[in-house]
Amino acid sequence: MRLRILLTGGAVAALAVLGGTGVAGAQEEEEEPEISHASEECIEILEQGGEVDDCQEAPSLILPATNEIVWGAISFAAVVFLLYKFAWPGLKKGLEDRSAKIRDDLEEAERARAEAESVLEEYKGQLADARNEAARIIDEARQTADSLRSDLQAKAESDIAEMRQRAAADVEAAKAQATQDLKSEVARIAVGATEMLVKKNLDRDTQTHLVEDYIAQVSSRN
Amino acid sequence: VATNDERIAAYAEAMFSVVRTEGTEAEVEDELFRFARALEANDELRQALSDSQIPASRRQQIVEDLLGEKASAATVALVSMAVGAGRGRDLPAMIDELVKMSAAQANKEVAEVRSAIDLDDEQRARLTEALEKATGKAVDLKVVVDPSVMGGIVATVGDTVIDGSLRTRLEQLKSAF
Repeated sequence: MRLRILLTGGAVAALAVLGGTGVAGAQEEEEEPEISHASEECIEILEQGGEVDDCQEAPSLILPATNEIVWGAISFAAVVFLLYKFAWPGLKKGLEDRSAKIRDDLEEAERARAEAESVLEEYKGQLADARNEAARIIDEARQTADSLRSDLQAKAESDIAEMRQRAAADVEAAKAQATQDLKSEVARIAVGATEMLVKKNLDRDTQTHLVEDYIAQVSSRN
Repeated sequence: VATNDERIAAYAEAMFSVVRTEGTEAEVEDELFRFARALEANDELRQALSDSQIPASRRQQIVEDLLGEKASAATVALVSMAVGAGRGRDLPAMIDELVKMSAAQANKEVAEVRSAIDLDDEQRARLTEALEKATGKAVDLKVVVDPSVMGGIVATVGDTVIDGSLRTRLEQLKSAF
């Protein structure tokens, strides 16, 4: 399509150039008789007693010569005809195709936009779900952490209480053991001292006395 | 092969027969009983008399050196016989069995009396009477002088122990603290 448009445009341009050239050529061909015509007129004027200035009328700066207008109109009409005949259908079709394409693109874009909006809505929904899920998980985690913290705290308190109790029991046991050890040591010393005293005072009479006491004691048993 | 208990009983019976034949039962039994207690209290002596590495004649010589002048000939002979036969370790058990046999023969029970000092005959008689009254059994008194008692007497009749020793009183005092 684009190639066709280009070819049509090229043809039109070539015609325009050729047309222009034709007009110019025509002007060049017609200048000679015009100049001679003007010279003739000037000669006539001069012959009728006129001045030289009377035959030097400058051509109009705005209006072209009539023949130029005619040839220009014919060329213009030819160019318009050619353009209408050959270039316009291509251009029209190109424009229509372009319009259709733009329309299709717009529709496609609209569809894509709608689809994107749908996906976006879906994503938003999923995001909201995910946020809710995350919030739920965080809440659960917080509750679990709270519960765990409470459990750990309770266990730590229990352990501390048990350790205190055990330490107190150990202290009591150590105290009791120390007291017992002290008592035993005191008893050992006291009994040792008593034994020494007893041995020192155990003479024959005392021994005999002890034997007699024993016999009497056994005799009194039943 | 006889068990050790059977062997001890057999030796005790043989020794009892010898003692009874000699007619000095009480004296020999007393001496044997004291020797048995001395042997129990002295690990070194018990080891020496039961050491099979030492020749039998040497072990018997130790017995004679220890008892020769302090004990009757029958006592020395019996102990020497057991030690020479390599039964020194079982000698205390044999003598205990012998004493029990002798007491049982007279329907009595052995009363082992540990005293810090030796008792005279009169004290022994009164103690025998007191123990018989306390236990309700006829007793054969065997006195052992044991300095560890410190003072007083510990009497054992069968399973009954009547303890009047200073040692025990001191122990009671210690445990009372």
